[in-house]
Amino acid sequence: MSLEIRGLQWGHPEPGGGWRQLFEGFNLTCATGEFVVLIGSNGSGKSTLLNLIAGTLPALAGSVCLEGRELIGLSDHRRASRIARVMQNPLDGTAPDLTMAENLRLAECRRRPGLRWSGLLGLHPDARDRRRYQELLEELDLPFRDRLDTPVGQLSGGQRQTISLVMASLGEPRLLLLDEHTAALDPRAEAKVMALTDRLVRRLQTTALMVTHSLEQALHHGDRLVMLHDGALIGDWSAQERRQFSPDDLRAFYGNVRVDERQERRG
Amino acid sequence: MLWIWIGALDQGLAYAGLALGVYLTLRILRFADITVDGSFALGGGAAAVLLAQQVPVPLALLVAVVLGALAGMVTGLIHTRLGVNDLFAGILTTTGLYSITLRLMGRSNIPLTEAPPGLAQLPTLGLGSDGAWLLALLLVVAGLIAALALLLATDFGVALRAIGNNPLMARANAISTRLGLTFGIALGNALVALAGALVALYQGFADVTMGIGSLILGLGAVIVGESLLRPRTIPQALVAVVLGSVVFRLMIAVALQLGMDPVDLKLATALLLLAALGLGRLRIPGLASSGERR
Ligand SMILES: Nc1ncnc2c1ncn2[C@@H]1O[C@H](COP(=O)(O)OP(=O)(O)OP(=O)(O)O)[C@@H](O)[C@H]1O
Ligand SMILES: [Mg+2]
Repeated sequence: MSLEIRGLQWGHPEPGGGWRQLFEGFNLTCATGEFVVLIGSNGSGKSTLLNLIAGTLPALAGSVCLEGRELIGLSDHRRASRIARVMQNPLDGTAPDLTMAENLRLAECRRRPGLRWSGLLGLHPDARDRRRYQELLEELDLPFRDRLDTPVGQLSGGQRQTISLVMASLGEPRLLLLDEHTAALDPRAEAKVMALTDRLVRRLQTTALMVTHSLEQALHHGDRLVMLHDGALIGDWSAQERRQFSPDDLRAFYGNVRVDERQERRG
Repeated sequence: MLWIWIGALDQGLAYAGLALGVYLTLRILRFADITVDGSFALGGGAAAVLLAQQVPVPLALLVAVVLGALAGMVTGLIHTRLGVNDLFAGILTTTGLYSITLRLMGRSNIPLTEAPPGLAQLPTLGLGSDGAWLLALLLVVAGLIAALALLLATDFGVALRAIGNNPLMARANAISTRLGLTFGIALGNALVALAGALVALYQGFADVTMGIGSLILGLGAVIVGESLLRPRTIPQALVAVVLGSVVFRLMIAVALQLGMDPVDLKLATALLLLAALGLGRLRIPGLASSGERR
């Protein structure tokens, strides 16, 4: 198993006082190289789950193991040497004043966590790196591939999100976390980025967890579909099983969950 | 007449480390660091104490740099470990530094009557001792610019820039924002302390109060330099900042020449900065407010 989440606990104070326990002994395991699609209604805890895995939110209890190594207790930047993310907000994933080449370079250095004192020697970005980035972007056929020296802040939100995805694919990540990474894209760009996502996940042989609200994506991408509701898994289907669903079937699952069914699934 | 301009040029170069340090903390790391007020005087005071005891100039400068780095590190640790915001972390350190500098100096003012011995060996460029100063300071400042430009071009330096630019993105790419901020603030204050030492050396005395208003002075240099050159790359920005420091000094020299009372110098500096900020806001969108983030 690549990713093993056991007994994860997390909650937050309610605005009116009191406490809401969102994750109560949450479990999820993903096989190595498995591409898992995560769906669920707004506020069901999808982004929170990714934050708990990446360490940007501290878990209250439980265990998150990646390839046998416990992540709980490691700070988020240490975990980032093996976990790559594309965040929900397109502006979060890139540094706007740095050029595209510089952003890519940073992502590529992810394997060396900390502040990379070793990087003191490497001048940046060296011609060989640039040629490699150029080839990568050409191969991915991105419309802004000739803008390596443009500050990323001068690109559109969707373009920045696409760069975030390319960045996530660099530095040999062992786990890829994608949080609605196509939400800000136009339909054409979405199709391209999803094709790119499939290609990258396959090429990297990495485990991937992708959050989406697109039923089309949920039905046609990834090896496995899971559904989250109020911090609990209420559905877990293989690509095979998923074939029986129409978009309307899936739509019906949202917000239409009976309490007894939920508790049964939780236990 | 000429010697006034050369003098202002020398002073601007002596203050260049201050401008570079403020550029590093404020522009690169986006950290408004008041520690510079304390570390400028610390550098000047420490260097003066050592020079008064015949310690060689390079060693005195080195000690000033190390002390400045330590002061910056303290602020960085207060900010990153205790979560104190940038302004308060800096004020805390600066307040403490005042006593430390005074203790180190033993009195509030140390005169340096002898010119640094190495200076006599430099060519005067036909400008007297100010010419020798000009050459010495130019060498130092050129070295600083080159070293900083190289540092900021490495993977390490790009990581530092990412920390200021988008800390979330930095952390998501395995960069420790704590380490980076602490290191960057330490480096910035090392530069500032070096400037303090050079200024003490040049003007022939150190005073515990010499650091007051340093941040504003440095900020003024950064803003003037940026609006003059509109840098697009880091090396250009470093040169611009040094140029800004010199131009800022020239403007002060002009004001003094026009009969301004030296007592009003700080007020004039503040007004000048205000004017520069106002102009900057007009000419470069976002420039004026980016200094007061968080
Ligand atoms: N830091 C936090 N403090 C308090 N509550 C939080 C925090 N983060 C998330 N929550 C709460 O946890 C719940 C789940 O939020 P989360 O962002 O994970 O939802 P989501 O499934 O990603 O929704 P969406 O589809 O809208 O992105 C929400 O009710 C939210 O209010
Ligand atoms: Mg979300």
